[in-house]
Amino acid sequence: MIRRVLALPAGRIAVGTLSAIVLLAIFGSALAPHNPLATTSAQLRHVSGGHLLGTDYLGRDTLSRLLAGSRASIVGAIEVALIAFFVGAIPGILSVYLGRVFEWLTLRLVDTLIALPFLLVAVAVTALLGNGMTVALLVVGVLLGPGFYRISRAAALTVARSQYVEAAQISGASLSWIVRSHVVSKVLPPISVTMASTVGTGFVVVSSLSFLGIGVQPPAPTWGGMLSSDLNYLSYQPWAPVAPALLIIATVWACNLLADAIRDVSGDAGRVFVSARAKRPLAQGGA
Amino acid sequence: MAFAASPAITDSPVAEAVLSVRDVHIRDQVTGREIVHGISFELEPGKVVGIVGESGSGKTLTCRAALGILPDQLEVYAGSITLAGHDIAELSVKQWTGLRGSTISAVFQDPSSYLNPSIQVGPQIAEVIRVKKKVRRREARDQVLQLLRSVRLRNPESVYSQYTYELSGGMLQRVLIAAAIAADPKVLIADEATTALDVIVQAEILDLLADLRERTGLALVVVAHDLAVVAQLCDEVLVIRQGEVVEHGTTADVLYRPRHEYTKLLISEHEQYGLDRFLDAPQRERA
Amino acid sequence: MASEETGHSVTVAMVRHAYRTLLKNLARPIAIFVPVFFVATFATFLLRALSGLNPARTQLGQAATPVEINRLEASYGLDRGFFAQYGSWLSGVLHGNLGRSWSDGYPVSTLIRDGLTISLTVATLALIIGVTFGLILGALAAVRRTTWIDRGITSFLSVISVIPAFVIGIVLVEVVAVELKLLPSAGFIPFSQGFWPWLSHLLLPALALSFGCMSSVARQLRAGLIGAFRENYVIGAIVRGLSPRRIFFRHVLRNGVGPALAVLGLEFPALIGGSVIVETIFALAGFGQFAYTSAQTGDVPAVQGVLVISIVLVVTFNLIVNLILGRIAPAAQRGV
Repeated sequence: MIRRVLALPAGRIAVGTLSAIVLLAIFGSALAPHNPLATTSAQLRHVSGGHLLGTDYLGRDTLSRLLAGSRASIVGAIEVALIAFFVGAIPGILSVYLGRVFEWLTLRLVDTLIALPFLLVAVAVTALLGNGMTVALLVVGVLLGPGFYRISRAAALTVARSQYVEAAQISGASLSWIVRSHVVSKVLPPISVTMASTVGTGFVVVSSLSFLGIGVQPPAPTWGGMLSSDLNYLSYQPWAPVAPALLIIATVWACNLLADAIRDVSGDAGRVFVSARAKRPLAQGGA
Repeated sequence: MAFAASPAITDSPVAEAVLSVRDVHIRDQVTGREIVHGISFELEPGKVVGIVGESGSGKTLTCRAALGILPDQLEVYAGSITLAGHDIAELSVKQWTGLRGSTISAVFQDPSSYLNPSIQVGPQIAEVIRVKKKVRRREARDQVLQLLRSVRLRNPESVYSQYTYELSGGMLQRVLIAAAIAADPKVLIADEATTALDVIVQAEILDLLADLRERTGLALVVVAHDLAVVAQLCDEVLVIRQGEVVEHGTTADVLYRPRHEYTKLLISEHEQYGLDRFLDAPQRERA
Repeated sequence: MASEETGHSVTVAMVRHAYRTLLKNLARPIAIFVPVFFVATFATFLLRALSGLNPARTQLGQAATPVEINRLEASYGLDRGFFAQYGSWLSGVLHGNLGRSWSDGYPVSTLIRDGLTISLTVATLALIIGVTFGLILGALAAVRRTTWIDRGITSFLSVISVIPAFVIGIVLVEVVAVELKLLPSAGFIPFSQGFWPWLSHLLLPALALSFGCMSSVARQLRAGLIGAFRENYVIGAIVRGLSPRRIFFRHVLRNGVGPALAVLGLEFPALIGGSVIVETIFALAGFGQFAYTSAQTGDVPAVQGVLVISIVLVVTFNLIVNLILGRIAPAAQRGV
């Protein structure tokens, strides 16, 4: 699958951009020319040899903060997507096999999660529970779970209804064996699509939270947090938001591009379940 | 447009062709492949021309050309089609809109798909009457109920307010016919209009078409892959194979004195299924 | 005579039909939304237990004696068992009583009202902007499909769909307010002080919120219309001699608009949720800001109130969307 994604120009661009961003997240702090937290008297400076992207309102080097801030922004998004995966996919697959009560309960929970105004809930709940990064990631992860739930459930349903699983059941295969050997292989392409787009969404949400000062606390640098402080000094440094904004946009865009590329190469397997999800929004009664 | 609402036959004392198709060639603009290699026929008011051929022979394309609804990449590149004195190659979009419905109209196989699923069938027919005959809403509704009665639908009042998915195939074909003749066209093209219906309903629809022709002087082009359908209704028959006319003559000539091997094959195939029953019928009717 | 009679029976049949569809369209979403409401309120109520917060800390500070704390907790009914508390809170909610704030003891519903007005105005404005431009762009792209107009619109939509609301907000402040000085960058003026001052302060926040909605609506509409254009009933309508304009508005649009409307049901929660961000950028004392500050001060009943109200808003909005969908395209209700 990876090779076929890379065969597409869009896939190559997406993977290239994302690798660059991940490298930035790993080595960013080491590359930073200045200490990202060191305040100086050289406040709100323009672009210069010493400060390639200028300095912020506390005289901190913008480029260094951008580089150092990449890790918190990226790692948060990936963690959120992983949490969403475990919270969503496992009940999604089990809902097909564990009987009607479990199915009904999880379906109602998913309906509820989708009906919630996402950011508002993330902000309110995280702040109530102490503003911490771990709480923020958990809350966002749970809120993003329904995507994985629906896709893995749809995949599991098609597998469960197909004849060869029935044959396996008749021949006495155990539940866990059926789940492992059949369901997982069917679920993989749509899960990858959802994973890529969830990382993108998670990234937006984590950045939005850090923009509001939730999750990663100032003075630790994040892209969202930098934008928030830039906002107050727009009349002095109108170009300051450009770099973090472009990085954020590039990251989300690359994630979506990757999701599309995986969908394209995995053909039916990727498309069927994604469209199955698109066709069952809450507005149509969730049917 | 100047076309009267009264039946066409009173328009011209001399039986002049309302639709004449002269040596029409149709080709694919993209691949350059020619699909229809010169088809000609003349249709006078009150007459019925039948076109017989297997699927893909070009009979449907010829009809679409006469209606001006060829698929985008296809074109009539030689020959001419004249509709009530207009060369259709010179018609503007506006002129086409004026001619369709009130001079030429059509019904098709799978009638439910040719009606809007989101609007009750009555208002859809009323729309045609209101637009083409400049009649007010209430008056249009009365005319629709009359039309539904004239296509022998039982209980027209309840049919009026039903959606396509609430009606059976035979009822839908009657509704589609009612919509097609709502603006009193002179020519009706019935493209495989009875193909998907069961034998009894098929006979009823053919009866209805014969009746309409008798009552209103409607000229018909009946397209079918089934000789029996054509035999029951037509004055003149064209047998088409792979875009070419292989046989053209009066129905009696074609059925009793077929010259081409393909026609003979069609007839011999039919004899096994009791075509003889119909062989006499047109004779009686024409006398 | 005869025509009047038939006219009457047609009307009766139509009314009966409309009534049946209305019931069908309402029953299903309600069957979905009632459990959603209870699950959501229960989860909301669980927050108090999870957070471990109580009004004593916010109101009395660290130096409070146990007696004072107990008295305050009892006055909020916190000395009772979990389910007893949930029961009385839920019955309060069903009667429109959202409880009292922990920070000042005022009824939460009163505190929420002003902010809600501002946020709903912004959200409605955003919805109007998003739906209007979304419909225009989507329809234009579909009618001119595969031309450069379509490609231009499609790429514009894919760009704006990946820009987070807070980035759009900052760009708008920067370009429209700071550089061009066309509109104010922050604050709120009540409607009583004039239409333009009021609107000018809401336009930028609404615009910042509207982009997501705009791109979703436009993409769904484009796809829906292109699908509808391929349908046989379009050929049917052409053959009956209807004009291209009439065919587009009455037949294609009606059948193709369903997904675009349905996606609104999904976008609405995002509009409400995005208010937190937008109100921070544009310094509006709205619903989102209220939620944010309440949560920061540990005012659990206020946060619960915010969540309940937003769930009610989303559920109501989805019911409306469902009803409109059912009216426009009855076939869509059959799981097509």
